Amino acid sequence: MAGTGDAHMRPADDEVLLRVEKLLVEFPVGRTGLKVHAVSGISFDVEKGETLGLVGESGCGKSTTGRAVMQLPEPTSGSVMFEGQELTALNRSDMREARTHMQMIFQDPISSLNPRRKVRDIVLEPLNIWKRGTKDERQALVDKVLEDVGIDPQRAATSQAHEFSGGQCQRISIARALVLDPSLIICDEPVSALDVSVQAQVINLLEDLKERYGLTLIFIAHDLAVVKNISDRVAVMYLGKLCEVAGSDDLYRQPLHPYTNVLLASIPVPDPDAEPLAVEVVGEPPSPVLPPPGCRFHPRCPNAQERCTTEEPVMRELATRHFVACHFPMDGTAVPAQPA
Amino acid sequence: MTTTSMDTMTAMPDAASDERVATKRRLPKLGVTFGVLWLGTLIFLAVFADFMPFIRGYGQSLDGATNTRFGPGIDFWFGSDTLGRDVFARCIYGARTSLTIASASILVGTVVGGTLGMVAGYFKGWVDRVISIFTDSLLALPAIIIASLLVGRFDVLADSDIKFLGFGFGWMSRTWSVTIVFSLLSIAPVARIVRAQTLSLSQREYVLAARSLGASTRRVLWREIVPNVIPALTAVIFTGIAILLAAEGGLAFLGYSVPRPPSWGSMIADDRDKIEEAWWTSIFPCFMLFFTVLAFNLIGDRLARRFDIREAAL
Amino acid sequence: MRYLLQRFVQFLIVFVVVTFIVLAATRIGSSDPLRDLAGGQVNQERLEEVAADYPYLDKPLVIQYGYWMTDIVTGDWGYSYYQSQSVMDMFKQRAPATFFIVFWALVIGLLIALPVGIYSAYRRDRIFDKATSLSTFATISMPSLVVAVLLLYAVAARTDLFPTVGGSNYVAPWDNPYEHFKNFFLPALTLGVGIGGVWSRLLRADMVLTLQSDFVTLAKAKGISPMRILWVHALRASVLSLITSVALQLGALISGSIIAEQFFGPRGLGDRLVFAIQQNDLLTLQAIAVVIVAVVVVANLAVDLLYAVVDPRIRAARALT
Repeated sequence: MAGTGDAHMRPADDEVLLRVEKLLVEFPVGRTGLKVHAVSGISFDVEKGETLGLVGESGCGKSTTGRAVMQLPEPTSGSVMFEGQELTALNRSDMREARTHMQMIFQDPISSLNPRRKVRDIVLEPLNIWKRGTKDERQALVDKVLEDVGIDPQRAATSQAHEFSGGQCQRISIARALVLDPSLIICDEPVSALDVSVQAQVINLLEDLKERYGLTLIFIAHDLAVVKNISDRVAVMYLGKLCEVAGSDDLYRQPLHPYTNVLLASIPVPDPDAEPLAVEVVGEPPSPVLPPPGCRFHPRCPNAQERCTTEEPVMRELATRHFVACHFPMDGTAVPAQPA
Repeated sequence: MTTTSMDTMTAMPDAASDERVATKRRLPKLGVTFGVLWLGTLIFLAVFADFMPFIRGYGQSLDGATNTRFGPGIDFWFGSDTLGRDVFARCIYGARTSLTIASASILVGTVVGGTLGMVAGYFKGWVDRVISIFTDSLLALPAIIIASLLVGRFDVLADSDIKFLGFGFGWMSRTWSVTIVFSLLSIAPVARIVRAQTLSLSQREYVLAARSLGASTRRVLWREIVPNVIPALTAVIFTGIAILLAAEGGLAFLGYSVPRPPSWGSMIADDRDKIEEAWWTSIFPCFMLFFTVLAFNLIGDRLARRFDIREAAL
Repeated sequence: MRYLLQRFVQFLIVFVVVTFIVLAATRIGSSDPLRDLAGGQVNQERLEEVAADYPYLDKPLVIQYGYWMTDIVTGDWGYSYYQSQSVMDMFKQRAPATFFIVFWALVIGLLIALPVGIYSAYRRDRIFDKATSLSTFATISMPSLVVAVLLLYAVAARTDLFPTVGGSNYVAPWDNPYEHFKNFFLPALTLGVGIGGVWSRLLRADMVLTLQSDFVTLAKAKGISPMRILWVHALRASVLSLITSVALQLGALISGSIIAEQFFGPRGLGDRLVFAIQQNDLLTLQAIAVVIVAVVVVANLAVDLLYAVVDPRIRAARALT
């Protein structure tokens, strides 16, 4: 599953808003000389108006991928093309400018908001940074956006973040992301910290705003169920690599990668008569400091064979626009071994 | 933190008012009340001592009381010392000296140390390493030794006609030199605390959010980090003043503090051998020193607790 | 291991920086270090004699530091012309007094901290806890100078048990334990009360957390007696922060010993140091400072070593702060 290759990439035309190629992010471990291979050369693209779901277990590098797109911190290597600009090549001030076209929403609604500032000022801050419009225009815009996300601007003017609930804080974060009128919003597990009832509200709000503001979304989550409805396309990540990329419906109807299969099977079904899990994955993901050779999923894969331990699978199209990096996918079409 | 617990959080203050918590809270509040009252009164007296009819000069002997000392009474609240000077007046003027030195030093320490700590904690990497070695070294200095050594050397420097960049050092009175030395010594502890705070704050997502909004580094530091470091700093300032007051006492005892107007330490040190004949000359300054240090500690402790609790809740 | 090596190098740098600061400080306002070294008002012959012994004194400060540190490391600590004594001999004579003050202060501090810290954590928020938390707060707010004066007033001036002000002498415990106690009790108590308060609070805070942890609940469930849980299981978990504080307070204790020595005697290194500062007796001053800094640095290293041995996770956490 340590899928490499770029068979799933679409041609870099005007429709593609973001094109990430061979993204590599490594962090040093203390001063030991070892490295965390957080993201190991993944490629993906997002078309205008599309929602890409990025799914994987905690620690698989999905958040790091999101941040690396924003160049926070800059990736170790790889290319990030956004609106026709190569972000990795930009200097600091151009990069600051470029960041305004893409925004992020974080997992922890409380920690995303400065506890010492009034919520309204937090939403106003981006406009102040970029000195957009007159003072009155800024105020009017902030009011409008706050109303769009369902927060009372009056209350926002007098309250700090801790006076709001988690769901409300997430709405405020969304408002802050929206005021700069970005084209891309990276949602880093925006609902994972929320109650299930609130999750649906926030997701609906995001879909609604996506229409209204003409947004493109990257929606990061560890839970396939959450991603299912909002995404047009889903990319599954494991230990810094991509496993499977497919349209949302295709992926759910017929998962081809054993890992995707496991993720799907582990979504709880509200039916007491449902059959117990047919597949099981043992143990926890290996450390990204010393990733396993070959396919990174092989130590836990039910389909793993000798070959998986040495040869890294490459992305290939098994069905229309349904890509998998696996030697022995779920539909039984094994890749012929490469002549050595 | 999950939403559930966050939502209940807002309702917490009311729910938390069961009896046990209430009694626990009243005690430190009493302490803070004492601290504020004590400091308020002391600072007021010290600042306006010159205009208070009941505070005599600290230097002159009392009329008709030369070379006699007498115990505390209605006229002389804290008695008089060997030279017939009013101990109460000297205690008040002592407050002026001691508090000025301690607060001026902590101010410098906070500005310099705070900046260093914030830069180290925010930029990390080699900047952090260089600053850390600097602060570690300052912390490893035996404080009272280096303080008395430096003050002693500054005396010599002030008397000499050495010039540095064309400036002489004649202006360097004891008040100056003690303040300079204490400022230097308060840099490292402040820097360490601020660094730790900044390290944890810079991981917060609102800092990342600000950066993703395109905020400049300066803006992130000023708008996002500084406001959140300041609460912890207030606690550090109060505790720091308490420590410096105590240190000043030690320095004075070794003969390296401000003799005129006398600091509390100097008064204690000068009159300690007369404790059997005239206990009031050294015991009262001791009490002043103790209660003032206590007051600063009480307020500092309260602030630290309050903001820790707040931090933990976030 | 790599981590420890790193810390070692770091502390070595700190040691060099600090001792250099001390050396530089002694030269402030001094136009003629040679004369300072030779003993102030001395004739030309004497000056030349000293210049022959210490030829590096007119070199740049960094060079002087190099010569001096080499001497220190090789055991040649120089000669104090003020005291007409070699610095090493001075150490042999004076260090024991300082050592015992610090040692007994440590013992007194721990004798206060262990029972108070443990019991107040065990009976949290009860009357004992409240009373001790109030009194430890008072003692940590009490500068050692104030403690000394109060002890002097309340004890020394009223009983014949202890020597009069500044009259204590060094008596080795193996020569005469009772006299040793008489001479060292008050100075050690002066320092011990304050750190006892600090450690009590520290230990209480740590123990309160430990007592809430699962392994203590498990121990209770297994029916281990409360006293055993408290003194063996919980204390073992909490003692690490106490040891850290003991090591880190060592420097402050030695510094504090200067005050206690000046106040009560016995006259140890602190007393010498005060004279050395007054006279700018360079080599004595520098040597004492080096020893104190070395103790501080070694204590810090020992703590790191301890952490590395005990628990790598705590070590990593500590490295972060």
